[in-house]
Amino acid sequence: MSLLTVSNLAKRYDSGGKPFAAVDDLSFEINPAETLALAGPSGSGKSTIARLVLRLIQPDAGRIDFEGSDFLALTGAALRARRARLQMVFQDPLAAFNPRATVARVLDDPLRIHGIASRAERPRRVAALLERVGLNAGLAARAIHEISGGQRQRVAIARAIATKPSLIVLDEAVSALDVSVRGQILELLIDLQRQERIAYLFISHDLGVIRAVAHRVVLLDAGRIAESGDARAVIANPQSAIGKALVAAAPRLTRNRP
Amino acid sequence: MKRLPHLFRSPEAIAGALILALLAAMALAAPLLFPGDPQAIAGPALLPPFQDWSLPLGTDRLGRDVLAELFHGARTSLAVGLAAAAAALLIGALVGTLAGFAGGLVDEVLMRITDAFQTVPSFLLALAFVSIVGPSLGVVVAAIALSAWTGPARVARAEVLSIRERDYVAGARVIGMHPLEIAFREVLPNALPPVLALSSVIVAAAILTEAALSFLGLGDPNRVTWGGMIAEGRTVLRTAPFLSIVPGVALVLTVLGVYLAGEGVVESTAMRRSLS
Amino acid sequence: MTALLSIRDLKVAYRRDGVAVQALKGVGLDVEAGERLAFIGESGSGKSTLALAVAGLLAKTVEIGGTIDWSIAKSQPSHSFAPPSVLPDISPTRGEIEPSSPPSPISNVAGGDPTAELLISPQLGEMSGRTEGGAVERQPSRPRDTIPRLGRDIGFVFQDPSSSLDPVMQVGKQIAEVIRTHLDVSWKDAYTRAKTLLERVRLPDPDSALHAYPHQLSGGQKQRVAIAAAIAAAPKLLIADEATSALDTIVQAEIVALIRRLVAEDGMTLIVISHDIALAATLADRIAVLRHGELLELGENQQIIEAPRHAYTRSLLDAHLGLDAKPMLDRQGASE
Repeated sequence: MSLLTVSNLAKRYDSGGKPFAAVDDLSFEINPAETLALAGPSGSGKSTIARLVLRLIQPDAGRIDFEGSDFLALTGAALRARRARLQMVFQDPLAAFNPRATVARVLDDPLRIHGIASRAERPRRVAALLERVGLNAGLAARAIHEISGGQRQRVAIARAIATKPSLIVLDEAVSALDVSVRGQILELLIDLQRQERIAYLFISHDLGVIRAVAHRVVLLDAGRIAESGDARAVIANPQSAIGKALVAAAPRLTRNRP
Repeated sequence: MKRLPHLFRSPEAIAGALILALLAAMALAAPLLFPGDPQAIAGPALLPPFQDWSLPLGTDRLGRDVLAELFHGARTSLAVGLAAAAAALLIGALVGTLAGFAGGLVDEVLMRITDAFQTVPSFLLALAFVSIVGPSLGVVVAAIALSAWTGPARVARAEVLSIRERDYVAGARVIGMHPLEIAFREVLPNALPPVLALSSVIVAAAILTEAALSFLGLGDPNRVTWGGMIAEGRTVLRTAPFLSIVPGVALVLTVLGVYLAGEGVVESTAMRRSLS
Repeated sequence: MTALLSIRDLKVAYRRDGVAVQALKGVGLDVEAGERLAFIGESGSGKSTLALAVAGLLAKTVEIGGTIDWSIAKSQPSHSFAPPSVLPDISPTRGEIEPSSPPSPISNVAGGDPTAELLISPQLGEMSGRTEGGAVERQPSRPRDTIPRLGRDIGFVFQDPSSSLDPVMQVGKQIAEVIRTHLDVSWKDAYTRAKTLLERVRLPDPDSALHAYPHQLSGGQKQRVAIAAAIAAAPKLLIADEATSALDTIVQAEIVALIRRLVAEDGMTLIVISHDIALAATLADRIAVLRHGELLELGENQQIIEAPRHAYTRSLLDAHLGLDAKPMLDRQGASE
């Protein structure tokens, strides 16, 4: 059975008085421990889908089933409690945290809110989370703005796994990182997926990254699905116009011909 | 401690800080230097300044020591100014944060209330409040706060509106944080700096409003206030102008000191922000 | 090939909370006239600092040491219609970034004319220039004329077009202003040229784009406008600092193609700053690899990609996830 089922999801915005469909009649599903990538150019609706799935914005139509129940029906405390199972990692790890926060506070919050550990036990859990994502436990006392971009994104991942989620939405989570750091973060994500059976909704405009980590891919164009299927098969032989354009535009390490 | 070197880079800020330090010292030293009741008769009436060195600034119409009154008046001015400004900032920040973060109907209602307060001239509001409830220190503080909270509320709301769209607020929602905790723990502290930048203006205005209320006889009758001293001196303005001039100069210096020091702090924080 | 500029022992230090942070630790290289050179590296490598130093855009409070010598042809008088030239032999001139204090012995030795020394006034971080060698006799020392001017001699394209364009000014006017600042033409002519430039950067409907505000354009279109403004005064050197990093892959490929075409058409020298080695390879003839403020290696595109000398370059190449790379899912799966 699928972990997340999105059916006929739609979201319209007003753009200068004209309604415009950011997401239009969209359906897809994600299985447990699977990585589904959403790819497409700017304005294709990738980030809107992430926010809809996370209930940060309300859809105009459609249905989202998460872990076998109607996710859109949840409100208030019930919704907040269920959020433990569905987490997110943002693109810009600096913007994703309160600028005044320390690493310890960022990781302490989810443990406290969902009653995962007692107050006395929490510092130990924070240290364990840091070590799980490959960071030194001593980092806990540091302020978020004092650590490097790669460390911040590891902290973001640690916060996301603190509540033992079954699905993490990664919205361009590696595109702001240096290439060497990017590789390590992707390896960490793959490792977590294998150990904890976490599924990812992996949003990216970079087909190279998607091909490296995703099982399946959905290519979006103007809020609609252009094509979908096995990530490597789709990228090797795209059928849709947007798929062909994305593949053609991917930078290649080849000699430059003037 | 890191911001002190920045603060003391501008001569205006140094002057402001010195004036405030002097004022605070006066307020703190008042009960030590002038242990008795400052409103007690200390000598002959209307003694001009610099005549009798036990009463350096002379005496007023009732023979009260002007210097002792000045020192004790500093206590009232500072206490009322700081308390009223703190209350105004607190109310304003809370209302602005709630309005900006909740949006919709809550925002609409809170901002219309803010409008209502803003359309009434603030001094009249304070005047009406004190004359209805009756003059006492607490009431004066409340009256001034009531007339000054709308500015901070508007600034806080505007700041919150921009902050609530940031990723870290979305992040707090994703980890399941309660909306009230998000508003007051994640959003409000980051919305505060521009609100606090208003504090020097509000403190200065509060000190002036307090003086004006006292001048009109609506201050706490059991306390010496500079406004009350000026009002006392008014009746003998031609024969003994020093009775009004001395507290008047103190008032001007205080407001100037608050303003200069406030500007210094705002500038140094702005500098640190642009540096980081 | 002749060097358009040669950078020698360039050191740049920023002050942060009273502590000096070395952004560049003695970098030296030549930029050949007409070449396309890429500076690549990760955050903290100093690649952007290097670009800013070349453009003279570093803040006055930054400590700078070493030299950047230009052999830009002396700027044409603004009324002249002569096309911009990169020929170095017309009037070899030299701009120099002076170290803060004390004045370096080199500047004392090289300056033949004591009054020229006074004119140069080695102010912190300020670029100054002077004629050099035999040119001193033929041409009086006029330092201000020979400083390469941003906008006129150097075009600079930043990463984020939203912050480099004025949000409340029509884009046509922004480009026309650049033209008016550097060339002696009327507003009408400046607008005509602005429209031609918008056509050259392939903005759809350049007529209405002239009167559009930046917020009415997409990210890619804004970057096209920023490029049009950068090349408006026909600079000899175009610097693109992560000019495509904020754009999606498809728009990025379009902008790369646009920059390639413009550079080829105008015979500009191009400096590309990028964190992406594959992107740099598609734009540049030579690649300079920087790390922690040091130049690790500099070589022809092909040599860097096929036979990197430095292990760090190799690791950057390995980290590139191309469409032919082995998926990481498999790599890890095999080890289990």
